This record gives sequence, structure tokens and C-alpha cells, in this order.
Amino acid sequence: MASKIEQLSFLIVDDYGDMRGVLRNMLQSFGVTDIDSVANGREAISHIESKRYDVILCDYNLGEGRDGQQVLEEIRARKLIGVSSIFVMITAENTRLMVMGAVEYEPDSYLTKPFTKDLLAQRIERLLNKKADLLEIEQAIDRREYELANDLLDRRIAENPRNLNEFVKIKADLALKAGAYDQAEAIYSGVLSQREIAWARVGIGKSYYGNKRYQEAKQVFQGLIDGNERFMAAYDWLARTHQAMDEPEEAQKVLETATAHSAKAIVRQRALGELALRNHDEKVAERAFGQAIRLGKHSIYKHPSIYANLARAKAVTASGDAALMVLRDLKKAYKGDTEAKLYSSMTEATIQEDMNNGARARQCMIEAHELYKELGTQAAPELALDMARTCNRMGETERASELLHQAVKNNHSDELFLKAVGETMGDLGLSEDPGAMIAGIKKEIVRLNNRGVELAKLGKLDEAMLLFEEAVVGMPGNKVVNLNAARIFMLHMNESGIDTDLLAKVREYLERVRQMDSEDRTLHKMQSMLKQLLRNSANPEKRENG
Amino acid sequence: MKFYDVLASLIHDMKNSLSMVIHTLDEITADAAVDFDKPARMTVLQNEAKRLNNNLIELLTLYNIENERISPSIEEVDVAIFIAEIMAENRSSAEANHIELVSDCDPELFGYFDENLIRNVLNNLVGNGIRYTRDRLLISAAQEAGYLVFRVEDNGSGYPEQMLSKQSAEDDHGALAEGRTKLGLYFATMIAEMHRNGEQQGFIRLENSHQLSGGCFSIWLP
Repeated sequence: MASKIEQLSFLIVDDYGDMRGVLRNMLQSFGVTDIDSVANGREAISHIESKRYDVILCDYNLGEGRDGQQVLEEIRARKLIGVSSIFVMITAENTRLMVMGAVEYEPDSYLTKPFTKDLLAQRIERLLNKKADLLEIEQAIDRREYELANDLLDRRIAENPRNLNEFVKIKADLALKAGAYDQAEAIYSGVLSQREIAWARVGIGKSYYGNKRYQEAKQVFQGLIDGNERFMAAYDWLARTHQAMDEPEEAQKVLETATAHSAKAIVRQRALGELALRNHDEKVAERAFGQAIRLGKHSIYKHPSIYANLARAKAVTASGDAALMVLRDLKKAYKGDTEAKLYSSMTEATIQEDMNNGARARQCMIEAHELYKELGTQAAPELALDMARTCNRMGETERASELLHQAVKNNHSDELFLKAVGETMGDLGLSEDPGAMIAGIKKEIVRLNNRGVELAKLGKLDEAMLLFEEAVVGMPGNKVVNLNAARIFMLHMNESGIDTDLLAKVREYLERVRQMDSEDRTLHKMQSMLKQLLRNSANPEKRENG
Repeated sequence: MKFYDVLASLIHDMKNSLSMVIHTLDEITADAAVDFDKPARMTVLQNEAKRLNNNLIELLTLYNIENERISPSIEEVDVAIFIAEIMAENRSSAEANHIELVSDCDPELFGYFDENLIRNVLNNLVGNGIRYTRDRLLISAAQEAGYLVFRVEDNGSGYPEQMLSKQSAEDDHGALAEGRTKLGLYFATMIAEMHRNGEQQGFIRLENSHQLSGGCFSIWLP
């Protein structure tokens, strides 16, 4: 049952005092008493950090600082509000058009000014009912209990409710995320056989992409753009598809068109810049990274690599000095951040080398090496590529080659990333045939994983443990290896009881994977396995039975 | 900057001011502590401010259509809730003008359309209806002949004969200067025609004496 509006707590975010007053009066006329109001994004975040609001009414335009969308992104990404909270974006006009389907976080509803208090009441009631209807499912998804969520969805779908498609959409989305692309495709096709609907069409494209049917995926996304040239999500997916098809120039063109339609998306500007840099189109890269920095000042999507890449572009389009200025901005924007320092030192090394300041370049390189070691498995995979480029520029070819080999070993199942590694190897002239070399390393790791799993199946857990222990040392950043090692260690403890050293290792492996990809499905399975293991060891009789 | 772009950004700003005017007027009328000797004058202010706002939305939407900055985002909509929101948006205005606003919609009805665009069209029609009707307005939605049909009907004197005979956007291009009703007609036609499903395309229709005795404006969406 949905709660009554007068019992809810509200936060009003609007830079106009008059408008805050209008909203407050409307809410008070419904009998609401718990109302706070703030004038900007910064205050909104600090209020939401310290108090749990049921409903947030937030204006899109908030003057200086974060806009409404950035407030939403930050509180949802940082999980400052739960799935049961309602976020309403208030706009002067139809802002939805500007963001259509291309943002990760959408508000629960948009409300266009001016609106009557009757409409506001009606809308809040509608949202409360919807939340109540979906709450159980959304909570299961939020807690990553996907099997439970799926069961709940199946039960609701079987009832054939009037809002059937809402449940079908969530179910298909879960299938996509689980990598069950055939299942997702079947669901979307079912929806499309009734009627052409954009979200289902995009879904079909994503299913094709997931199944590596790139040609078909391309046709779907291109078709969506032909039908609606402002369909931003279709551009992003089309660009990704081109990249997967080894067509980086095409991918760049797609994102250039998309940013010409809608320049505000930081994530897209960054992707465009990275593509342009890889295509040696520094002019486009400079513009894109510049935009991403300007737009991202108050956004969770800001990242030190954007500054480093802008510096790299500017070193070509303008001068080394201009590039060094960008690095100064980088350090100012990220005081005390190790990753940012690494980006800065690494990039500066190349720039100084190009400016013939050999001594300074060397010093930066040494700093970068140390910072990279300090980050360990926390370093983003892309950092290895940049590090390799820098090492190579400084004449440390062997180190560059080693870094790239390690990058392949740590990410052997990430096809897009491996492509980037191969390109870098080719660019730096480190390998005659990068593709074959990467395939070789991949095969080796797959064989090793399979052997370990096979040994475990045969009951030779000790041998399997030895094998994975060694593998984890050699590939500390490899998700699959870490997960498999954790699993084997837990199987062992299931039989022989808890061992504190092994338990500490399991925790460490899972924590590494969590830092790399907290959304990984196998990780969630392993986490529940660990919980189960600890529970069983607390109640030994139960273990005997189960 | 081109003139049209300046115009668009000015309209945006004007809309913000007007929102404040409308909200403040609504507050003053709702405030029991403020005593009016002439509530009818207040209603005139509210009517005209709303009309100005609807006109600005029309202008902005037409600007966006002409510059291809807008494409309909067709989604599944719970029509009964949608109609309830249109009612909520216009209830106070109808009351102030002593007009009985009623709706008729199957609570199970779902439809596929761009909620924002159709909302603007219906708000416009209701705004006009309040001016032309005698004392009653009916908003309805129904599934007919493979189309989702929205109707706004009144019990006024109905549409004049020459309007009933010219019913396509083509006919209206030359007649824009004749008045804002024509602009509204043009706007509604554009929005309706932006809705397509396979071979079918949306359209509008004007008639008299459908369910009520006056004019009936309908939007047909495939």
C-alpha cells in the first residue's frame, strides 16, 4: 500500500526563493509538514547525505554549480537515496528531449512549469502507487538478488496486469545484464511483434551486440537514428558497435554527429575524445575533452584521465607549454588523489621528453612507476596502456611490452579492451602480430582456468588450490582467476572447515574484483557463497544436513 | 546567433516569468486571508496568463519542430491517469470560470503516444473550450477504429461552417493570420501527424454536436 502524502518528507531544490515558497505552500495545502528547501545542488547533496527524504522536488536549472541532472546522478550513484524515494525533475520546458534515453539515471518523473497544485498532488499519488507496485522487485535488484527479482517478475507477468510491459521491460533488462542475450532477444521480439516501441528496438540491438552479431546490431541502431535523429542512446550504441567491428573512424563520426545534436553529455564527449585521440585526430579530441571538463566540473563523471588526454591533444594542436598548463589544472582539481598524480606524472614525462627536457622527463617517469605500483590492482586497466606508451616514448621498450602483456593477462575476457591493447602494441611496434600474441595468452589462461575447474570437479581440491594460488600471483588483476581462486578455496573450507588464512585470501580476492567491477554477476554469487559458508560454520549441524 | 534562436531563448525566459505570475495568482486566489471585491477580474488575469503560457508553448514547440529539434518519443501511457492529470491541471481554472469540467475514459485504456506533446495540445483545447463553451466541457479518450481518440467537446455554439470544411494543415498555412484559433489548429495537426504507426498517421477532426451540443475537437492517434 502506498503511504499518504501528508506523512512524507519533502526536499525542495530551486534557486528561486519565490518558487521554493510556491512549492512549499502547495505541499502545506496537502497537509505536508516535513518540508526542507535549499537553493543549490551543493546544499541539496549535504541535506540528502544527512536525512532520508521520501520525495525530492528538484528544478533542472540551479544557476552556478550542479544542475538538477547532476544532483540526481550523484545521489543515485552514491546510493544516497533508496529505491523507494521519489525524484521529480521540474523544468521550464520539455527537458526530456535533451537527455532522451541517453543518461544512466532518469528521474521518476518530469514536471513542466507552471503546474497547478492539483496536478502536483495527482502526480505524486501516481508515483507513490507505481513505487509501491514495483518496490519488492526494485529492492531485490538493488540488493542484487537477481533470481528473486526474476521470480517476482515472472509471478507478476503471469497475472497479466494492465501495466504488463513495465515488468517485461525490467525482465529483459535483467536478462541483458546477466548475459542471457538469446533470452533478452526473445522477450524484445515478443514486445515488438505487438507494436514498434523504441526501448524494445534498442533492446534487440543490444542483444545482437551481446551475441557479437555486430552487422545486425548496426542495422538496428542505424534504423533507430534514421527514424529519429535525436535518439541519443542509439548513437552511443552504434559507435560502440563500429568499435567492436574495428571501424574506429566510423565510430568517431557517429559520436561527432551525436555531440552536434546534444553537446551536454560528459560521458559521450569523453568517449569521442578517446576515439579521436586513437584516430590521431587531435583537434576533435581537444574540443571533446575541453567540453567534458567544462561540463563535468560538478559531475560524478569527471575523471583525471580527461585532463591527461586533453594535455596530450594540446601538445599536438598547440604546444608543450599549453599541455603542461592543463596538467596544472589537473593537479588543482584533484588534490591528494594518487590516480590523478599518476595521470599527471605519466603524461608530463612524455611532454617533457618531447620538449627535450630529458632530466625532468626521467624524474616524472620514476614518480609514475612508483605511483603505479602503489595503486596495484586498483589501477584502471586503461592506465596500463598509457603507462606503456609513456615507457616506450622514454625508450623503455621492454617495460612497455611487459605492461601490455600483463594488461592482456589481467583482462583476457574483455574483448574491447584487448582490441585497444593490440592497437597500442601495433602503434608502438612492440609486436609483429599483436592479434596472434593476444590470442596465445588468452588461450593459455582459458586452459589454466579450465584445468583448475576440472581438478576441482575430480575432487582434487589441493591441486586446484595450488594451481590458482599461483595463477593469482601471476595475474592479480584478472577477474576470472580471482573469482575461481576464491571459489576453490571456499569449496575446500566447506569440506575441511574454516581456515583464517584462506578466509583472508578469499576476502582479498573478492574485494579486488569488487573494485574492478562491482556489478559482476559471478562476484555476487561468490559473495553469497561466502555468506553461506560462514553461516554453516557457525551452525555445524546444519552443514551435515545440507 | 540567428533571430530564431534569440526568439527561442527569449521565449524560454518569458515562460519562467510567466510561471511565476501564474503560480502567484493561484496562491493569491487560494489564500483565504486575502479579500477580493472583484474575483471575476482575478479570473480574467488567470485566464489571460494561462493563454499566454499556452501560446508560448505552441511557439516553442513549433520552433523545435521546424528546426528538427524535436521528435515524438512514443511510449506506453496509462490513458486514464493521463486524463486525470489533464483534469487536475485545468480544474481550478474551470471552476473559477463557472464551467463544469468532466471526463470520460475507460480505466483500463492504454495508449501509445508522446505524453508531453499531446498534453500541450489538450491543455490548449481546454483553454479555448473554457472561452467558447456555455457551461460544460467534456474531455474523453477511447479506442475507435484502430485509433486512440482524444476529444474535447463543449456546449457552446459550435465551429462555424467554413472551419468545418477546411480541415488539413495544408489549407491552414495561408490562413495563419486569421487568428489564434487557426494557429492552434495548425499546431494540433502537426503534433497529430508526428504520430505514426506502420502505414497509419495521426490526424485531427472538427465536428459539431458529438456528445455535447457544441464543438468537438478530436485527435486521432494510430
